[in-house]
Amino acid sequence: MGTTKTVHILHNSEQPASVFSILESGTKNIHVIADGLFDLLMMKLSQHYTSKKQTKIESKGPRFELGDFCVKLGSVTMNQNFKGILIEVEYRPCVMANAVWGLLREFLQGLLGPTVPVQPPQHLMSRMNEIYTPIDTIYQYLEHFSAYRKVTGMRNN
Amino acid sequence: MNQAINVEQLNSALTSLRTVRSSVSLVFETLSNGLRADHGEDGKDKFLMELQELLNIVSNNLRDLEQTVNGLPIPVPFNLGNTTYLSQETTQDRQALYTQLVNSYKWTDKIHEYSSYAHTLLSQNSLKRSYINSGSTKRRGKLQSNHNVAPLQVDNVINNIDRSYNDMKITISRPFASNAVVSINLSHVLKAVVAFKGLLMEWVMVKGYGETLDLWTESRHHVFKKVTENAHAAMLHFYSPTLPELAVRSFMTWLHSYVNLFSDPCKRCGCHLHHTSLLPPAWRDFRTLEPFHDECKQ
Repeated sequence: MGTTKTVHILHNSEQPASVFSILESGTKNIHVIADGLFDLLMMKLSQHYTSKKQTKIESKGPRFELGDFCVKLGSVTMNQNFKGILIEVEYRPCVMANAVWGLLREFLQGLLGPTVPVQPPQHLMSRMNEIYTPIDTIYQYLEHFSAYRKVTGMRNN
Repeated sequence: MNQAINVEQLNSALTSLRTVRSSVSLVFETLSNGLRADHGEDGKDKFLMELQELLNIVSNNLRDLEQTVNGLPIPVPFNLGNTTYLSQETTQDRQALYTQLVNSYKWTDKIHEYSSYAHTLLSQNSLKRSYINSGSTKRRGKLQSNHNVAPLQVDNVINNIDRSYNDMKITISRPFASNAVVSINLSHVLKAVVAFKGLLMEWVMVKGYGETLDLWTESRHHVFKKVTENAHAAMLHFYSPTLPELAVRSFMTWLHSYVNLFSDPCKRCGCHLHHTSLLPPAWRDFRTLEPFHDECKQ
């Protein structure tokens, strides 16, 4: 087996019955979407996968619906330490990032102020013409969580 | 007028038939009475003479009858369609259906006639708000019903439209007898279902890409509720009973313009989202197909 590989396990309250796991393997990430029993399976595999309890990170906060938009304000905490705030904006009628990006940017600039430059997230760049699925949201959260982990103290984004 | 003459001829034919009958019965009556007292001495000869005379009258009357009958037009057998089976109806209270059927047929005939008059009058009216196809007045004369079109013809029209768009997939199903229900997949943007009655559109429902299509439940997204509303307006706008094929084609062209529903900003205010409704431009102009917000379209 040799090299150690990292498995991220994520839960999303929007899909409460699913467990998302992402295996980092070099340049490519592999994801598995399973039901709640996956957590128990990972516990059984504790011989092979050791859990790093101290890096548990969570974004928690209210969820708003505004027209067809779903806005989630999450305060990010890692081991009870406040790290920052994540805002998730979802426009649910459309499934293609490419088609809806202009509209989303307009909404975000209305929310954050017109001077804030808004770029599509790294993960979505390559998937602008694909159909959006829940795992794409998970990848974006993971992207931000990894960035939070790297910095100590507060992070501005 | 033609019918009135027929009735007159028929009446005279019936009268002459009656005369023939009465003269024949007179012959038999005389025969059965036999010799009477008033025939006198050589009653036999007188009796035969009388009989001869009566027979002459009969043959004359018969000639008259033949003449009038020859003058009558040969009746064409009526094609009663399914109503012929009404005569085989056994239940008492349904046997009266035929008269009702004839009455309702007369009514629809009248409605058809009046509506074609109304159409001519309305198409001359210059104060019209929605444009009625004025070109149709030329090809009128025989109005055909577009509610009752062969399924094959409907299929042809819809398949032709399907072939002319690459990013719009149209499939036909017939869950309700012969009337087509058409489901439309427009790129990854939206799905729509259109119910047809013959070649006329009766109902439209628009939903999001990920939703399941059916005729009656609304989309859960506000934007598609709005688009459905506008599609109903468009359906009524393009409605044209005289040129149904054009109506369907125009509607489909209009619906196809929604391919940029999320990506194109409103032509008037230049924004994607309207500041109060938070909806993208969900209205398409009927002629130019340009995107507008509902609030901006005036």
